[in-house]
Amino acid sequence: MTQVNPRELVVEILLKIEKEAVFANEVIGNVLKMYQFIPKQTRAFINKVAEGTIEHQIQLDYIINQFSKTKINKCKPFIRVLLRMSVYQILFLDRVPDRSVCDEAVKIARKKGFHNLTGFVNGVLRNISRNKDNISYPKEEDGKVKAWSVRYSMPEWIVEKFLADYSEEAARQILEASMEERDTCIRVNTSKLSKEECIKKLEKEDVTVKQGFYAKDALRIEDYDYLSGLTSFQEGDFNVQDESSQLLCEIADIKKDYVVMDVCSAPGGKTLHAANELKGTGLVIARDLTEKKTELILENVERMGYQNVKVEVFDALHFDESMREKADLLIADLPCSGLGILGRKKDIKYSITKEQLLELQKMQKEMLKVVSGYVKKGGYLIFSTCTINPEENIGNYRYIIENLPFRIVDITGKLPDSLKCETAKEGYIQLLQGIHHCDGFFISKFQKI
Amino acid sequence: MAIRNIRIDGDDILRKKCRPVEEMTPKIQELIDDMLETMYEADGVGLAAPQVGILKRLVVIDIGEGPLVLINPEIIEKSGEQTGMEGCLSLPGKAAEITRPNHVVCKALNEDMEEITVEGEELLARAICHELDHLEGILYKDLAKNGLLDVEAPDEEE
Repeated sequence: MTQVNPRELVVEILLKIEKEAVFANEVIGNVLKMYQFIPKQTRAFINKVAEGTIEHQIQLDYIINQFSKTKINKCKPFIRVLLRMSVYQILFLDRVPDRSVCDEAVKIARKKGFHNLTGFVNGVLRNISRNKDNISYPKEEDGKVKAWSVRYSMPEWIVEKFLADYSEEAARQILEASMEERDTCIRVNTSKLSKEECIKKLEKEDVTVKQGFYAKDALRIEDYDYLSGLTSFQEGDFNVQDESSQLLCEIADIKKDYVVMDVCSAPGGKTLHAANELKGTGLVIARDLTEKKTELILENVERMGYQNVKVEVFDALHFDESMREKADLLIADLPCSGLGILGRKKDIKYSITKEQLLELQKMQKEMLKVVSGYVKKGGYLIFSTCTINPEENIGNYRYIIENLPFRIVDITGKLPDSLKCETAKEGYIQLLQGIHHCDGFFISKFQKI
Repeated sequence: MAIRNIRIDGDDILRKKCRPVEEMTPKIQELIDDMLETMYEADGVGLAAPQVGILKRLVVIDIGEGPLVLINPEIIEKSGEQTGMEGCLSLPGKAAEITRPNHVVCKALNEDMEEITVEGEELLARAICHELDHLEGILYKDLAKNGLLDVEAPDEEE
């Protein structure tokens, strides 16, 4: 007989992420999809432990190093993830008795052939369990960077960067929010049904629904097993889109018959939103780099039932002569460092590097140069990212007004009162996780001269 | 010791009834050792002799609490009910929801051919039932009310 052991699955997930350059979300998603048959609580447990372990990795490693003679980075990868996962449960999951966490870890180690290391695993875990109330952490007065890096499991260079770019208080709030669990934000397909009808349908499926904070069609949902299992999702009543991204389309102020281009569209949130705002008129040309990505867009377009969308594989770095000055609105939501969505994608913080920030900024500039050519005279350009890195955002904002034939557009009138700010007059807004109730996101709007 | 070839569903031998073990011989002892090794290597929690092509009433089980060898086993008591997923080394990549007793008492002989009684709850009860079914030529898919599910390893691409 064979048996699905949830903790073993977590170890497998973590090991795959550790060994290969794969996104945590994808790996966890694949495994959960494969094991749809195991009970909802078990699946939730797997998700929580896998994500939690990744999220708290720096802190967990710090603690393990305090109690283990062998430093965590000297351990075999298997033992390393097994220890991390177990310490996460000891520290963060009250429902699971420490003893069974230790026993399970030993069992898994033995089962995987690490017979000679079961004593080590058991010793370290029991030691941590006994001492979990007197773990010593680096003190703030000995250096905020080190202390915050361990407390928020954030690489030191990112802590330094947040402290340099934002006030100390803002940096702390951003770091805190980067660890917080957030509800899923959705946009109601108002071409099909009203917000109230959507709420009713969701509640019938036992989903907890709350109103959004900023965007008019936004809802926040929780307490569901997996999204694609919901009838309302299958029927295209809504799609997942953060409020920050929904605001983008509100700021864009999409008019009937517009030709809209979304040049880095996948998974298609803004494309769908734009199609919705066009109310069946006009056209949205949704592009992305690979077929895998455009398939994702297509899937969403079909599910939501929009007819006015054309999905194409096209590299935003190459100029498409046939589209020269054709777009009334160009959405350039460009690939970025993702520092605004650290709370959603728990592994970004470990994989991103300082050098990549510079490369990304350069690539964004190249893309802006190319795609701005698609905008009609008098048409609009929206440049956005899901990062809070000023060089990628304000840096490129300046680049556009200084080097490209565009002028800034006051966006104040399109913002909800709670978000009205000084920079809106200058045509941009920087949303920050922890300070605003949404992802960290940058939106700027320009008009072609 | 050696890893033996696990027979896959479709092989007639899995559908045959097994014969009791009459006495402990070096050959049976070797079979037991091989079965344990094969089970561990394949990440199973239990293995029955017919799964390695031997029609003898002999199973090995380890649910993580150490190896258990059951010769000529018989369930003498069962109670309660549990419904959960199980899979089988002879049906790779599949799993199904099966209802089993939650508690069983099993009489068997150990490796020294001494009579023993094993009491199992939950996973152990499930494993005992599953392995003992093999000795009668029964596979868990025969008991699956909701059919078999695919749990093939995910694509390694990306």
